[in-house]
Amino acid sequence: MDLGLLGQYLLNGLMLGMIYAMVAVGFTLFFGVLDVIKFSHGDVLMVGTFAGLATYLGLESVGIDSPWLQLLLVVLVSVSAMAVLGALIAKFLILPLKDAPPLNTLLATLMLGSVLRESVRLFYPNGSNPKPFPRLLPTDEWSLGTLTLRVDNLILLAAGVAAIVGVHLLITRTKLGLAIRAVAQDGETARIMGINFEWIVLLTFGLGSGLAALAGVMNGLYYNETNFGIGLLLGVIGFSAAILGGLGNVYGAILGGFIFAGLQTLGSVALPAVLPSVPSAYKDVFAFTAVIVIMAWKPTGLIAEKSSERV
Amino acid sequence: MAHLVIENITTAYDKADVLQDVSLEVEPGKITCILGSNGSGKSTLIRSILGLTPPRRGRILFDGQPITHLATHRIIASGIACIPEGRKVFPKMSVAENLRLGAYQESDQAVVARRLDQVHEIFPRLKERTGQFAGTMSGGEQAMVSIGRGLMAAPKLLIIDEPSLGLSPLYVKENFNVIRRINELGITVLLVEQNVHQTLAIAHAGYVLLQGRVVARGSAAELADNEEVHAAYFG
Ligand SMILES: Nc1ncnc2c1ncn2[C@@H]1O[C@H](COP(=O)(O)OP(=O)(O)O)[C@@H](O)[C@H]1O
Ligand SMILES: [Mg+2]
Repeated sequence: MDLGLLGQYLLNGLMLGMIYAMVAVGFTLFFGVLDVIKFSHGDVLMVGTFAGLATYLGLESVGIDSPWLQLLLVVLVSVSAMAVLGALIAKFLILPLKDAPPLNTLLATLMLGSVLRESVRLFYPNGSNPKPFPRLLPTDEWSLGTLTLRVDNLILLAAGVAAIVGVHLLITRTKLGLAIRAVAQDGETARIMGINFEWIVLLTFGLGSGLAALAGVMNGLYYNETNFGIGLLLGVIGFSAAILGGLGNVYGAILGGFIFAGLQTLGSVALPAVLPSVPSAYKDVFAFTAVIVIMAWKPTGLIAEKSSERV
Repeated sequence: MAHLVIENITTAYDKADVLQDVSLEVEPGKITCILGSNGSGKSTLIRSILGLTPPRRGRILFDGQPITHLATHRIIASGIACIPEGRKVFPKMSVAENLRLGAYQESDQAVVARRLDQVHEIFPRLKERTGQFAGTMSGGEQAMVSIGRGLMAAPKLLIIDEPSLGLSPLYVKENFNVIRRINELGITVLLVEQNVHQTLAIAHAGYVLLQGRVVARGSAAELADNEEVHAAYFG
């Protein structure tokens, strides 16, 4: 294989890893503060993507057609609407179930995910078909030998890095991050410190859901297409990534996202090479199988030796 | 002021009442102790005050204001801090972060820095270990973190639940000295302890809990030769 193609795979893998990491961080944050698995997380991402798409169509219809302004508003509406939705889900669905068996939360959010998914399919105009997602970023290209760099992809990569670094700084350097970590390590003692427990939980769910919405918009901008089922796949992948890294550990989730993308990339390169009859679409099968093997080998995740590690 | 009044509270976890009709008073500026053997309801009393397990009946007043059904962070905001049973340091955080959390409700960095200096003065060891994860420290050092963290709140009333549990005699003695010093700084103390003699030596007044009821009350001197005290522990 030539170097240019390898570079192309690498860039694609990095892009996917970034998106998965952003989804996985949400799973891990939610588990950190409340010990819950929120299965509707992927579908919140999908609703965020459609909210962004609807914003774009709305702006077009009123004649606002500067791509940068459109982009700004698409991201702003999508992220803030999903942050609010995530906090509302925490307030009215997850916190009330706090003292119920964890399976109830799992089931309730699983059902909520279906409700969100089916609602978009039924009520978004022509919602059951894939939707084109607008190209809002400049698509200029640079060629380096056989490697083609596109400006929009570089911007998306930079945005992903910024989002992840931003989350890292928020968690490690701010008072809010300190409170989130305190709640994750010991919720009751955090309350004794005077931390408003419920408020921190809502903010954490808002943060994770806003991040997922950003990931959804980035995913749409990257593929220039989205559909009502996108959250199901990204949700399962994000959840796998979070488990890979050891649920509850933010850096584990980020690492897990990149590992999953690496496995997918490996699958799409190696499978057709080794077994010519297997198309590269089987990369997901390959990646999920590999995850199952890794989970059997390291049941508590790759970097969570200490099961008490949180956020 | 730091006047805590508890009036006829009954507290339960599930069905069975753990505290039954408990009334007591913590006078400003004093060290008031709660004595009682294991399982008599001392920690439950503290949970009631902090709003972690609010009482089913009765009321709790702090400086005349009812705090009975406030959320815990509001109760803390009224000037109460707690050094919980078992120390409960945040294990995956540095000593500095643990101490910062003690002053969570204070946003003035200068005030926080001043309090940190005071805590470092009382526990020089914490200054040396400022970057160490609290979970990797010895029990005695964790006790310092937990006490220091309580002081970082600069509370009017400091509630301390069994600070010497599981510590070596040397640390236990040091702990009692520290509590006395804290009180001399003007902080009112509600102290829960099993160590009857050392506790009564520093306390001004106290109560004895037995199976969720107050069975004796009085000054430290009165309690020291009270039959109920002996009965509650050894009877
Ligand atoms: N979280 C809880 N849930 C149910 N029962 C509890 C809980 N905590 C304590 N208890 C019960 O309440 C009683 C008093 O416990 P506690 O207040 O911890 O006593 P003490 O601090 O004096 O040792 C005990 O019988 C104990 O089993
Ligand atoms: Mg106790």
